[in-house]
Amino acid sequence: MNKNQKVKIYLFFFLLIATIAFAVLFPRLTLPFGFAYIIYLMTKPLTILLTTGSKKQRLFYLLIMVVGVTFLLFPVFATFYNVETDIGQLYQQLPLVEKILQDKFFVFKVHFFERFGIRLNMDPVTYLMKKMESQGGDLLSQFPNYLSTVFEWLLLVPLFMYFFFKESKNFSSKFMEAIPNPIFEKTFVLFSQFNTKFGEYIIAKFIEATILGTLVTIGLLIVGFPYPFILGFIAGVTNILPYIGPVIGFVPAFFIALLSKDPNASMAGMAIIYLLANLIDTILVFPLLVSKIVNLHPIVVVVSIIIGSQLGGIVGMIVIIPFIAFFKLLFKEIYKDLSVQT
Amino acid sequence: MSYEKEQMERNFKGESSADRLDIPLLKYMWDASPLAFLTSDESYHEFFKKISVLQSFSDNEVRLFTKFLHRREFTANEVIFKQGDSGYGFYFIFSGAVNIFSSQYMLEGEDLGDLVIRLEKRQYFGEMGLLEEFNRRSASVVAAENTVLLGIFKPDLERMLEMYPVLGAKFLRETALIMANRMGQLTREIVAMKKKIKELEQRV
Repeated sequence: MNKNQKVKIYLFFFLLIATIAFAVLFPRLTLPFGFAYIIYLMTKPLTILLTTGSKKQRLFYLLIMVVGVTFLLFPVFATFYNVETDIGQLYQQLPLVEKILQDKFFVFKVHFFERFGIRLNMDPVTYLMKKMESQGGDLLSQFPNYLSTVFEWLLLVPLFMYFFFKESKNFSSKFMEAIPNPIFEKTFVLFSQFNTKFGEYIIAKFIEATILGTLVTIGLLIVGFPYPFILGFIAGVTNILPYIGPVIGFVPAFFIALLSKDPNASMAGMAIIYLLANLIDTILVFPLLVSKIVNLHPIVVVVSIIIGSQLGGIVGMIVIIPFIAFFKLLFKEIYKDLSVQT
Repeated sequence: MSYEKEQMERNFKGESSADRLDIPLLKYMWDASPLAFLTSDESYHEFFKKISVLQSFSDNEVRLFTKFLHRREFTANEVIFKQGDSGYGFYFIFSGAVNIFSSQYMLEGEDLGDLVIRLEKRQYFGEMGLLEEFNRRSASVVAAENTVLLGIFKPDLERMLEMYPVLGAKFLRETALIMANRMGQLTREIVAMKKKIKELEQRV
Protein backbone atom coordinates (compact mmCIF):
# COMPACT_ATOMS: atom_id res chain seq x y z
CA MET A 1 0.00 0.00 0.00
CA ASN A 2 1.56 3.34 -1.00
CA LYS A 3 1.61 6.58 1.03
CA ASN A 4 -1.36 8.19 -0.78
CA GLN A 5 -3.57 5.17 -0.16
CA LYS A 6 -2.65 5.16 3.53
CA VAL A 7 -3.48 8.88 3.81
CA LYS A 8 -6.83 8.26 2.09
CA ILE A 9 -7.70 5.47 4.55
CA TYR A 10 -6.71 7.58 7.60
CA LEU A 11 -8.71 10.54 6.27
CA PHE A 12 -11.76 8.36 5.65
CA PHE A 13 -11.70 6.91 9.18
CA PHE A 14 -11.07 10.35 10.68
CA LEU A 15 -14.17 11.68 8.86
CA LEU A 16 -16.18 8.66 10.00
CA ILE A 17 -15.17 9.09 13.65
CA ALA A 18 -15.77 12.86 13.44
CA THR A 19 -19.30 12.20 12.10
CA ILE A 20 -20.03 9.74 14.93
CA ALA A 21 -18.66 12.20 17.52
CA PHE A 22 -20.81 14.98 16.03
CA ALA A 23 -23.87 12.68 16.21
CA VAL A 24 -23.22 11.87 19.89
CA LEU A 25 -22.44 15.48 20.85
CA PHE A 26 -25.49 17.00 19.15
CA PRO A 27 -28.46 14.75 19.96
CA ARG A 28 -30.83 17.63 19.22
CA LEU A 29 -29.92 17.18 15.55
CA THR A 30 -29.13 13.47 15.56
CA LEU A 31 -32.43 12.30 17.06
CA PRO A 32 -34.76 14.00 14.53
CA PHE A 33 -32.31 12.95 11.80
CA GLY A 34 -32.53 9.34 13.02
CA PHE A 35 -36.31 9.54 13.29
CA ALA A 36 -36.58 10.90 9.72
CA TYR A 37 -34.24 8.11 8.55
CA ILE A 38 -36.47 5.50 10.22
CA ILE A 39 -39.54 6.86 8.40
CA TYR A 40 -37.54 6.99 5.15
CA LEU A 41 -36.54 3.33 5.51
CA MET A 42 -40.10 2.34 6.35
CA THR A 43 -41.53 4.04 3.27
CA LYS A 44 -38.66 3.10 0.92
CA PRO A 45 -40.25 -0.15 -0.36
CA LEU A 46 -43.38 1.88 -1.08
CA THR A 47 -41.46 4.48 -3.09
CA ILE A 48 -39.90 1.77 -5.27
CA LEU A 49 -43.38 0.38 -5.82
CA LEU A 50 -45.19 3.63 -6.48
CA THR A 51 -42.78 5.98 -8.21
CA THR A 52 -42.37 5.71 -11.92
CA GLY A 53 -42.50 9.17 -13.48
CA SER A 54 -40.80 12.26 -12.12
CA LYS A 55 -44.16 14.07 -11.63
CA LYS A 56 -45.48 11.17 -9.59
CA GLN A 57 -42.27 11.02 -7.62
CA ARG A 58 -42.56 14.63 -6.53
CA LEU A 59 -46.24 14.15 -5.72
CA PHE A 60 -45.35 11.13 -3.61
CA TYR A 61 -42.66 13.04 -1.71
CA LEU A 62 -45.19 15.78 -1.07
CA LEU A 63 -47.76 13.25 0.13
CA ILE A 64 -45.22 11.67 2.49
CA MET A 65 -44.41 15.09 3.92
CA VAL A 66 -48.10 15.98 4.40
CA VAL A 67 -48.82 12.65 6.10
CA GLY A 68 -45.67 12.99 8.21
CA VAL A 69 -46.52 16.52 9.32
CA THR A 70 -50.15 15.60 10.09
CA PHE A 71 -49.01 12.54 11.98
CA LEU A 72 -46.65 14.68 14.04
CA LEU A 73 -49.04 17.63 14.45
CA PHE A 74 -52.07 15.72 15.65
CA PRO A 75 -50.69 14.46 18.98
CA VAL A 76 -49.06 17.85 19.60
CA PHE A 77 -52.31 19.76 19.36
CA ALA A 78 -54.24 17.05 21.15
CA THR A 79 -51.71 17.15 23.98
CA PHE A 80 -51.53 20.95 23.97
CA TYR A 81 -55.27 21.30 24.49
CA ASN A 82 -55.68 18.53 27.05
CA VAL A 83 -52.47 18.43 29.02
CA GLU A 84 -53.49 20.89 31.69
CA THR A 85 -56.82 19.21 32.44
CA ASP A 86 -55.21 15.76 32.19
CA ILE A 87 -52.49 16.61 34.70
CA GLY A 88 -55.07 18.29 36.98
CA GLN A 89 -57.25 15.18 36.85
CA LEU A 90 -54.23 12.99 37.54
CA TYR A 91 -53.38 15.07 40.63
CA GLN A 92 -56.98 14.73 41.87
CA GLN A 93 -56.84 10.99 41.34
CA LEU A 94 -53.45 10.49 43.03
CA PRO A 95 -54.71 10.44 46.67
CA LEU A 96 -57.32 7.86 45.66
CA VAL A 97 -54.68 5.71 43.94
CA GLU A 98 -52.45 6.07 47.02
CA LYS A 99 -55.26 4.96 49.35
CA ILE A 100 -56.08 1.92 47.21
CA LEU A 101 -52.42 0.93 46.98
CA GLN A 102 -51.96 1.42 50.76
CA ASP A 103 -54.99 -0.84 51.44
CA LYS A 104 -53.71 -3.51 49.06
CA PHE A 105 -50.23 -3.39 50.56
CA PHE A 106 -51.67 -3.61 54.09
CA VAL A 107 -53.62 -6.74 53.15
CA PHE A 108 -50.45 -8.16 51.59
CA LYS A 109 -48.43 -7.35 54.76
CA VAL A 110 -51.01 -9.13 56.96
CA HIS A 111 -50.99 -12.22 54.67
CA PHE A 112 -47.20 -12.22 54.61
CA PHE A 113 -47.03 -12.07 58.44
CA GLU A 114 -49.59 -14.87 58.86
CA ARG A 115 -47.77 -17.08 56.37
CA PHE A 116 -44.08 -16.46 57.14
CA GLY A 117 -44.17 -14.75 60.57
CA ILE A 118 -42.10 -11.83 59.29
CA ARG A 119 -43.34 -8.25 59.79
CA LEU A 120 -42.70 -6.01 56.78
CA ASN A 121 -41.68 -2.54 58.06
CA MET A 122 -41.43 -0.78 54.76
CA ASP A 123 -43.64 1.78 53.06
CA PRO A 124 -42.97 1.58 49.32
CA VAL A 125 -46.36 3.10 48.40
CA THR A 126 -45.70 6.47 50.08
CA TYR A 127 -42.23 6.56 48.52
CA LEU A 128 -43.66 5.75 45.08
CA MET A 129 -46.42 8.37 45.34
CA LYS A 130 -44.00 11.08 46.52
CA LYS A 131 -41.70 10.21 43.63
CA MET A 132 -44.63 10.41 41.18
CA GLU A 133 -45.75 13.77 42.56
CA SER A 134 -42.25 15.25 42.26
CA GLN A 135 -41.85 13.77 38.77
CA GLY A 136 -45.25 15.23 37.82
CA GLY A 137 -44.14 18.63 39.11
CA ASP A 138 -40.90 18.35 37.09
CA LEU A 139 -42.91 17.40 34.02
CA LEU A 140 -45.11 20.48 34.43
CA SER A 141 -42.19 22.84 34.94
CA GLN A 142 -40.33 21.32 31.98
CA PHE A 143 -43.41 21.46 29.75
CA PRO A 144 -42.34 24.60 27.76
CA ASN A 145 -38.99 22.91 26.99
CA TYR A 146 -40.73 19.75 25.77
CA LEU A 147 -43.02 21.85 23.61
CA SER A 148 -40.11 23.73 22.01
CA THR A 149 -38.39 20.38 21.31
CA VAL A 150 -41.56 19.09 19.66
CA PHE A 151 -41.80 22.17 17.44
CA GLU A 152 -38.11 21.80 16.57
CA TRP A 153 -38.80 18.21 15.49
CA LEU A 154 -41.80 19.39 13.47
CA LEU A 155 -39.48 21.59 11.47
CA LEU A 156 -36.49 19.25 11.22
CA VAL A 157 -38.10 15.84 10.62
CA PRO A 158 -39.95 16.81 7.38
CA LEU A 159 -36.84 18.67 6.20
CA PHE A 160 -34.60 15.64 6.75
CA MET A 161 -37.24 13.36 5.21
CA TYR A 162 -37.32 15.51 2.09
CA PHE A 163 -33.50 15.34 2.00
CA PHE A 164 -33.55 11.54 2.26
CA PHE A 165 -36.15 11.07 -0.48
CA LYS A 166 -34.61 13.58 -2.83
CA GLU A 167 -30.87 13.29 -2.26
CA SER A 168 -30.16 9.91 -0.67
CA LYS A 169 -29.12 8.35 -3.99
CA ASN A 170 -26.61 11.12 -4.80
CA PHE A 171 -25.41 11.20 -1.22
CA SER A 172 -24.81 7.45 -1.05
CA SER A 173 -22.98 7.42 -4.42
CA LYS A 174 -20.74 10.30 -3.22
CA PHE A 175 -20.12 8.39 0.00
CA MET A 176 -19.19 5.27 -2.00
CA GLU A 177 -16.75 7.26 -4.12
CA ALA A 178 -15.05 8.52 -0.96
CA ILE A 179 -14.36 4.99 0.34
CA PRO A 180 -10.69 4.13 -0.31
CA ASN A 181 -10.03 1.20 -2.69
CA PRO A 182 -8.49 -1.29 -0.21
CA ILE A 183 -11.57 -1.25 2.04
CA PHE A 184 -14.24 -0.54 -0.58
CA GLU A 185 -15.76 -4.01 -1.07
CA LYS A 186 -16.13 -4.78 2.62
CA THR A 187 -17.36 -1.30 3.59
CA PHE A 188 -19.92 -1.22 0.79
CA VAL A 189 -21.28 -4.67 1.63
CA LEU A 190 -21.43 -3.93 5.38
CA PHE A 191 -23.07 -0.56 4.74
CA SER A 192 -25.70 -2.20 2.50
CA GLN A 193 -26.28 -5.00 5.01
CA PHE A 194 -26.71 -2.46 7.81
CA ASN A 195 -29.23 -0.48 5.75
CA THR A 196 -31.19 -3.61 4.91
CA LYS A 197 -31.10 -4.93 8.50
CA PHE A 198 -32.05 -1.58 9.96
CA GLY A 199 -34.96 -1.09 7.53
CA GLU A 200 -36.23 -4.66 8.00
CA TYR A 201 -36.00 -4.34 11.81
CA ILE A 202 -37.94 -1.08 11.91
CA ILE A 203 -40.68 -2.41 9.61
CA ALA A 204 -40.86 -5.69 11.57
CA LYS A 205 -41.13 -3.85 14.91
CA PHE A 206 -43.79 -1.56 13.47
CA ILE A 207 -45.86 -4.55 12.29
CA GLU A 208 -45.32 -6.34 15.62
CA ALA A 209 -46.44 -3.23 17.55
CA THR A 210 -49.55 -2.89 15.35
CA ILE A 211 -50.49 -6.56 15.86
CA LEU A 212 -50.01 -6.36 19.65
CA GLY A 213 -51.84 -3.02 19.91
CA THR A 214 -54.77 -4.41 17.91
CA LEU A 215 -54.90 -7.59 20.03
CA VAL A 216 -54.95 -5.60 23.29
CA THR A 217 -57.61 -3.19 21.96
CA ILE A 218 -59.89 -6.02 20.79
CA GLY A 219 -59.38 -7.93 24.04
CA LEU A 220 -60.14 -4.91 26.23
CA LEU A 221 -63.21 -4.12 24.10
CA ILE A 222 -64.47 -7.68 24.64
CA VAL A 223 -64.06 -7.57 28.45
CA GLY A 224 -65.49 -4.03 28.54
CA PHE A 225 -62.40 -2.40 30.06
CA PRO A 226 -62.32 1.44 29.83
CA TYR A 227 -60.14 3.35 27.29
CA PRO A 228 -59.41 0.29 25.07
CA PHE A 229 -58.09 2.30 22.11
CA ILE A 230 -55.64 4.49 24.01
CA LEU A 231 -54.43 1.53 26.10
CA GLY A 232 -54.00 -0.59 22.94
CA PHE A 233 -52.05 2.24 21.36
CA ILE A 234 -49.80 2.56 24.44
CA ALA A 235 -49.25 -1.22 24.55
CA GLY A 236 -48.32 -1.22 20.85
CA VAL A 237 -45.93 1.73 21.10
CA THR A 238 -44.19 0.53 24.28
CA ASN A 239 -43.86 -2.95 22.78
CA ILE A 240 -41.29 -1.53 20.36
CA LEU A 241 -38.86 -1.81 23.30
CA PRO A 242 -38.02 -5.48 23.74
CA TYR A 243 -38.53 -7.12 27.20
CA ILE A 244 -39.07 -3.83 29.10
CA GLY A 245 -41.77 -2.49 26.76
CA PRO A 246 -44.62 -4.91 27.65
CA VAL A 247 -44.16 -4.10 31.37
CA ILE A 248 -44.25 -0.33 30.76
CA GLY A 249 -47.31 -0.80 28.51
CA PHE A 250 -49.10 -2.66 31.30
CA VAL A 251 -48.66 0.11 33.95
CA PRO A 252 -51.42 2.55 32.77
CA ALA A 253 -53.95 -0.29 32.51
CA PHE A 254 -52.98 -1.43 36.02
CA PHE A 255 -53.73 2.01 37.49
CA ILE A 256 -57.02 2.30 35.60
CA ALA A 257 -58.05 -1.12 36.94
CA LEU A 258 -57.25 0.06 40.49
CA LEU A 259 -59.57 3.05 40.05
CA SER A 260 -62.50 0.98 38.77
CA LYS A 261 -65.50 0.06 40.95
CA ASP A 262 -64.60 -3.63 41.05
CA PRO A 263 -60.77 -3.64 40.96
CA ASN A 264 -60.29 -7.39 41.34
CA ALA A 265 -62.57 -8.35 38.43
CA SER A 266 -61.18 -5.60 36.17
CA MET A 267 -57.60 -6.49 37.04
CA ALA A 268 -58.12 -10.20 36.29
CA GLY A 269 -59.78 -9.60 32.91
CA MET A 270 -57.27 -6.98 31.87
CA ALA A 271 -54.25 -9.01 33.04
CA ILE A 272 -55.43 -12.06 31.05
CA ILE A 273 -55.80 -9.92 27.92
CA TYR A 274 -52.28 -8.45 28.29
CA LEU A 275 -50.83 -11.87 29.07
CA LEU A 276 -52.52 -13.49 26.06
CA ALA A 277 -51.51 -10.67 23.70
CA ASN A 278 -47.89 -10.83 24.90
CA LEU A 279 -47.88 -14.64 24.68
CA ILE A 280 -49.08 -14.50 21.06
CA ASP A 281 -46.39 -11.90 20.42
CA THR A 282 -43.61 -13.92 22.08
CA ILE A 283 -44.56 -17.32 20.65
CA LEU A 284 -45.80 -16.36 17.19
CA VAL A 285 -45.15 -12.81 16.02
CA PHE A 286 -41.63 -12.15 17.38
CA PRO A 287 -40.01 -15.41 16.16
CA LEU A 288 -41.60 -15.05 12.73
CA LEU A 289 -40.89 -11.36 12.19
CA VAL A 290 -38.07 -9.98 14.31
CA SER A 291 -35.76 -12.62 15.80
CA LYS A 292 -34.28 -13.73 12.47
CA ILE A 293 -33.30 -10.15 11.66
CA VAL A 294 -31.65 -9.33 14.99
CA ASN A 295 -30.52 -12.70 16.39
CA LEU A 296 -29.04 -11.35 19.65
CA HIS A 297 -28.84 -12.91 23.10
CA PRO A 298 -31.57 -11.59 25.50
CA ILE A 299 -28.94 -10.25 27.95
CA VAL A 300 -27.24 -8.36 25.13
CA VAL A 301 -30.64 -6.90 24.16
CA VAL A 302 -31.42 -5.69 27.72
CA VAL A 303 -27.92 -4.20 28.22
CA SER A 304 -28.17 -2.53 24.80
CA ILE A 305 -31.53 -0.96 25.68
CA ILE A 306 -30.07 0.50 28.88
CA ILE A 307 -27.10 1.93 26.96
CA GLY A 308 -29.47 3.22 24.24
CA SER A 309 -31.68 5.01 26.78
CA GLN A 310 -28.57 6.61 28.32
CA LEU A 311 -27.38 7.85 24.92
CA GLY A 312 -30.58 8.91 23.19
CA GLY A 313 -33.68 8.40 25.34
CA ILE A 314 -36.60 6.53 23.79
CA VAL A 315 -35.30 6.86 20.19
CA GLY A 316 -31.94 5.56 21.40
CA MET A 317 -33.65 2.56 23.00
CA ILE A 318 -35.32 1.66 19.70
CA VAL A 319 -32.41 2.36 17.39
CA ILE A 320 -29.66 0.70 19.46
CA ILE A 321 -30.80 -2.90 18.71
CA PRO A 322 -30.11 -2.89 14.94
CA PHE A 323 -26.86 -1.03 15.64
CA ILE A 324 -25.74 -3.78 18.01
CA ALA A 325 -26.82 -6.40 15.44
CA PHE A 326 -24.68 -4.55 12.90
CA PHE A 327 -21.67 -4.45 15.23
CA LYS A 328 -22.07 -8.18 15.79
CA LEU A 329 -21.96 -8.64 12.01
CA LEU A 330 -18.91 -6.36 11.77
CA PHE A 331 -16.97 -8.20 14.47
CA LYS A 332 -17.88 -11.52 12.88
CA GLU A 333 -16.47 -10.31 9.53
CA ILE A 334 -13.27 -9.01 11.17
CA TYR A 335 -12.86 -12.25 13.15
CA LYS A 336 -13.43 -14.29 9.99
CA ASP A 337 -10.75 -12.29 8.17
CA LEU A 338 -8.28 -12.59 11.02
CA SER A 339 -8.79 -16.35 11.32
CA VAL A 340 -8.10 -16.77 7.58
CA GLN A 341 -4.95 -14.65 7.79
CA THR A 342 -3.59 -16.64 10.73
CA MET B 1 -37.14 -5.29 -22.22
CA SER B 2 -36.65 -2.49 -24.76
CA TYR B 3 -37.09 1.17 -23.90
CA GLU B 4 -40.03 1.40 -26.33
CA LYS B 5 -41.70 -1.59 -24.68
CA GLU B 6 -41.17 -0.03 -21.25
CA GLN B 7 -42.83 3.19 -22.45
CA MET B 8 -45.72 1.27 -24.09
CA GLU B 9 -46.35 -0.66 -20.86
CA ARG B 10 -46.32 2.61 -18.96
CA ASN B 11 -48.93 4.08 -21.38
CA PHE B 12 -50.99 0.88 -21.17
CA LYS B 13 -51.07 1.18 -17.35
CA GLY B 14 -52.29 4.75 -17.74
CA GLU B 15 -49.07 6.20 -16.33
CA SER B 16 -47.91 9.42 -17.94
CA SER B 17 -44.43 9.68 -19.38
CA ALA B 18 -41.90 11.97 -17.73
CA ASP B 19 -43.09 15.58 -17.93
CA ARG B 20 -39.62 16.97 -18.44
CA LEU B 21 -36.51 16.13 -20.43
CA ASP B 22 -34.64 13.23 -18.92
CA ILE B 23 -31.10 14.58 -19.35
CA PRO B 24 -29.26 11.42 -18.18
CA LEU B 25 -31.33 9.34 -20.61
CA LEU B 26 -30.62 11.75 -23.49
CA LYS B 27 -26.92 11.71 -22.60
CA TYR B 28 -27.02 7.92 -22.57
CA MET B 29 -28.80 7.78 -25.96
CA TRP B 30 -26.22 10.21 -27.37
CA ASP B 31 -23.40 7.98 -26.12
CA ALA B 32 -25.14 4.89 -27.49
CA SER B 33 -25.60 6.37 -30.97
CA PRO B 34 -23.82 4.64 -33.89
CA LEU B 35 -21.73 7.80 -34.36
CA ALA B 36 -20.34 7.53 -30.83
CA PHE B 37 -17.02 6.18 -32.16
CA LEU B 38 -16.27 9.74 -33.33
CA THR B 39 -15.71 10.78 -29.73
CA SER B 40 -12.41 9.79 -28.10
CA ASP B 41 -13.80 8.33 -24.86
CA GLU B 42 -15.65 5.05 -24.96
CA SER B 43 -19.10 5.09 -23.38
CA TYR B 44 -20.33 2.41 -20.97
CA HIS B 45 -22.86 1.36 -23.60
CA GLU B 46 -20.23 0.82 -26.29
CA PHE B 47 -18.03 -0.95 -23.77
CA PHE B 48 -20.65 -3.46 -22.67
CA LYS B 49 -21.96 -4.04 -26.18
CA LYS B 50 -18.47 -5.30 -27.08
CA ILE B 51 -18.30 -7.74 -24.15
CA SER B 52 -19.22 -11.12 -25.59
CA VAL B 53 -21.11 -12.52 -22.60
CA LEU B 54 -23.36 -9.44 -22.35
CA GLN B 55 -24.18 -9.25 -26.05
CA SER B 56 -27.64 -10.70 -25.47
CA PHE B 57 -28.58 -7.57 -23.49
CA SER B 58 -30.78 -5.06 -25.32
CA ASP B 59 -29.77 -1.38 -25.42
CA ASN B 60 -32.21 -0.58 -22.62
CA GLU B 61 -31.00 -3.50 -20.53
CA VAL B 62 -27.42 -2.28 -20.86
CA ARG B 63 -28.63 1.20 -19.81
CA LEU B 64 -30.32 -0.24 -16.71
CA PHE B 65 -27.37 -2.52 -15.97
CA THR B 66 -24.91 0.40 -15.90
CA LYS B 67 -26.97 2.02 -13.13
CA PHE B 68 -25.80 -0.72 -10.74
CA LEU B 69 -22.10 -0.41 -11.45
CA HIS B 70 -19.39 1.25 -9.36
CA ARG B 71 -16.49 2.95 -11.09
CA ARG B 72 -13.22 2.39 -9.22
CA GLU B 73 -9.90 3.90 -10.31
CA PHE B 74 -6.59 2.20 -9.47
CA THR B 75 -3.05 3.45 -9.99
CA ALA B 76 -0.31 1.18 -11.41
CA ASN B 77 0.76 -1.56 -8.96
CA GLU B 78 -2.19 -0.90 -6.63
CA VAL B 79 -3.59 -4.10 -5.14
CA ILE B 80 -7.25 -4.62 -6.09
CA PHE B 81 -7.68 -7.60 -3.80
CA LYS B 82 -5.48 -10.26 -2.25
CA GLN B 83 -5.72 -14.02 -2.25
CA GLY B 84 -7.79 -15.11 0.78
CA ASP B 85 -9.73 -11.81 1.07
CA SER B 86 -13.52 -12.02 1.38
CA GLY B 87 -14.96 -11.56 -2.10
CA TYR B 88 -18.20 -9.76 -2.87
CA GLY B 89 -17.81 -8.36 -6.35
CA PHE B 90 -17.33 -8.96 -10.04
CA TYR B 91 -15.15 -6.54 -12.05
CA PHE B 92 -15.00 -5.52 -15.72
CA ILE B 93 -11.81 -3.83 -16.94
CA PHE B 94 -13.00 -0.55 -18.50
CA SER B 95 -9.48 0.71 -19.22
CA GLY B 96 -5.93 -0.40 -18.37
CA ALA B 97 -4.90 -3.93 -17.42
CA VAL B 98 -4.50 -6.15 -14.37
CA ASN B 99 -2.10 -8.91 -13.37
CA ILE B 100 -3.38 -11.98 -11.54
CA PHE B 101 -1.04 -13.68 -9.09
CA SER B 102 -1.54 -16.94 -7.28
CA SER B 103 0.31 -18.88 -4.64
CA GLN B 104 -0.16 -22.33 -3.18
CA TYR B 105 0.17 -20.81 0.30
CA MET B 106 -1.05 -17.58 1.89
CA LEU B 107 1.85 -15.16 1.64
CA GLU B 108 2.77 -12.40 4.09
CA GLY B 109 3.56 -8.79 3.15
CA GLU B 110 3.98 -7.55 -0.42
CA ASP B 111 4.73 -10.96 -1.98
CA LEU B 112 1.71 -12.06 -4.02
CA GLY B 113 2.97 -15.30 -5.55
CA ASP B 114 3.47 -16.18 -9.23
CA LEU B 115 1.98 -14.28 -12.15
CA VAL B 116 -0.81 -16.40 -13.63
CA ILE B 117 -2.29 -14.19 -16.32
CA ARG B 118 -2.60 -10.60 -17.49
CA LEU B 119 -6.12 -9.39 -18.24
CA GLU B 120 -6.73 -6.46 -20.57
CA LYS B 121 -9.57 -4.09 -21.37
CA ARG B 122 -13.05 -5.69 -21.70
CA GLN B 123 -12.00 -8.76 -19.76
CA TYR B 124 -13.46 -9.57 -16.39
CA PHE B 125 -12.63 -11.31 -13.11
CA GLY B 126 -14.04 -12.09 -9.65
CA GLU B 127 -17.39 -13.58 -10.72
CA MET B 128 -17.18 -16.24 -7.96
CA GLY B 129 -17.36 -13.45 -5.38
CA LEU B 130 -20.75 -12.45 -6.68
CA LEU B 131 -22.29 -15.92 -6.50
CA GLU B 132 -20.66 -17.77 -3.59
CA GLU B 133 -22.03 -17.10 -0.10
CA PHE B 134 -18.68 -17.04 1.72
CA ASN B 135 -16.22 -16.43 -1.03
CA ARG B 136 -12.47 -16.22 -0.50
CA ARG B 137 -10.49 -14.76 -3.38
CA SER B 138 -8.50 -17.57 -4.99
CA ALA B 139 -5.86 -15.22 -6.42
CA SER B 140 -4.46 -11.73 -5.94
CA VAL B 141 -5.18 -9.02 -8.52
CA VAL B 142 -2.93 -5.99 -9.05
CA ALA B 143 -3.38 -3.08 -11.47
CA ALA B 144 -0.66 -3.46 -14.13
CA GLU B 145 -1.08 0.20 -15.14
CA ASN B 146 -3.51 3.00 -14.32
CA THR B 147 -6.78 1.10 -14.49
CA VAL B 148 -10.49 1.83 -14.33
CA LEU B 149 -12.72 -1.03 -13.21
CA LEU B 150 -16.50 -1.27 -13.26
CA GLY B 151 -17.62 -3.42 -10.35
CA ILE B 152 -20.92 -4.98 -9.42
CA PHE B 153 -21.34 -6.36 -5.88
CA LYS B 154 -23.69 -8.70 -4.03
CA PRO B 155 -26.00 -5.94 -2.69
CA ASP B 156 -26.24 -4.47 -6.22
CA LEU B 157 -27.27 -7.85 -7.61
CA GLU B 158 -29.91 -8.21 -4.88
CA ARG B 159 -31.22 -4.73 -5.65
CA MET B 160 -31.24 -5.50 -9.38
CA LEU B 161 -33.21 -8.72 -8.82
CA GLU B 162 -35.69 -6.78 -6.69
CA MET B 163 -36.12 -3.84 -9.07
CA TYR B 164 -35.61 -5.47 -12.50
CA PRO B 165 -36.03 -9.26 -12.00
CA VAL B 166 -35.77 -10.07 -15.73
CA LEU B 167 -32.53 -8.14 -16.07
CA GLY B 168 -31.20 -9.69 -12.84
CA ALA B 169 -32.02 -13.20 -14.02
CA LYS B 170 -30.43 -12.51 -17.41
CA PHE B 171 -27.26 -11.21 -15.75
CA LEU B 172 -27.15 -14.23 -13.44
CA ARG B 173 -27.49 -16.52 -16.46
CA GLU B 174 -24.59 -14.76 -18.18
CA THR B 175 -22.48 -15.01 -15.01
CA ALA B 176 -23.29 -18.71 -14.74
CA LEU B 177 -22.18 -19.06 -18.40
CA ILE B 178 -18.87 -17.36 -17.57
CA MET B 179 -18.38 -19.78 -14.69
CA ALA B 180 -19.32 -22.76 -16.87
CA ASN B 181 -16.76 -21.65 -19.47
CA ARG B 182 -14.09 -21.31 -16.79
CA MET B 183 -14.98 -24.74 -15.40
CA GLY B 184 -14.74 -26.23 -18.91
CA GLN B 185 -11.34 -24.61 -19.37
CA LEU B 186 -10.21 -25.87 -15.96
CA THR B 187 -11.35 -29.42 -16.74
CA ARG B 188 -9.44 -29.39 -20.03
CA GLU B 189 -6.32 -28.15 -18.22
CA ILE B 190 -6.63 -30.87 -15.55
CA VAL B 191 -7.01 -33.55 -18.23
CA ALA B 192 -3.95 -32.24 -20.06
CA MET B 193 -1.95 -32.13 -16.81
CA LYS B 194 -2.95 -35.67 -15.87
CA LYS B 195 -1.86 -36.79 -19.32
CA LYS B 196 1.49 -35.08 -18.85
CA ILE B 197 1.96 -36.64 -15.41
CA LYS B 198 1.22 -40.08 -16.85
CA GLU B 199 3.76 -39.52 -19.63
CA LEU B 200 6.37 -38.42 -17.08
CA GLU B 201 5.63 -41.44 -14.87
CA GLN B 202 6.04 -43.78 -17.87
CA ARG B 203 9.38 -42.12 -18.74
CA VAL B 204 10.65 -42.52 -15.17
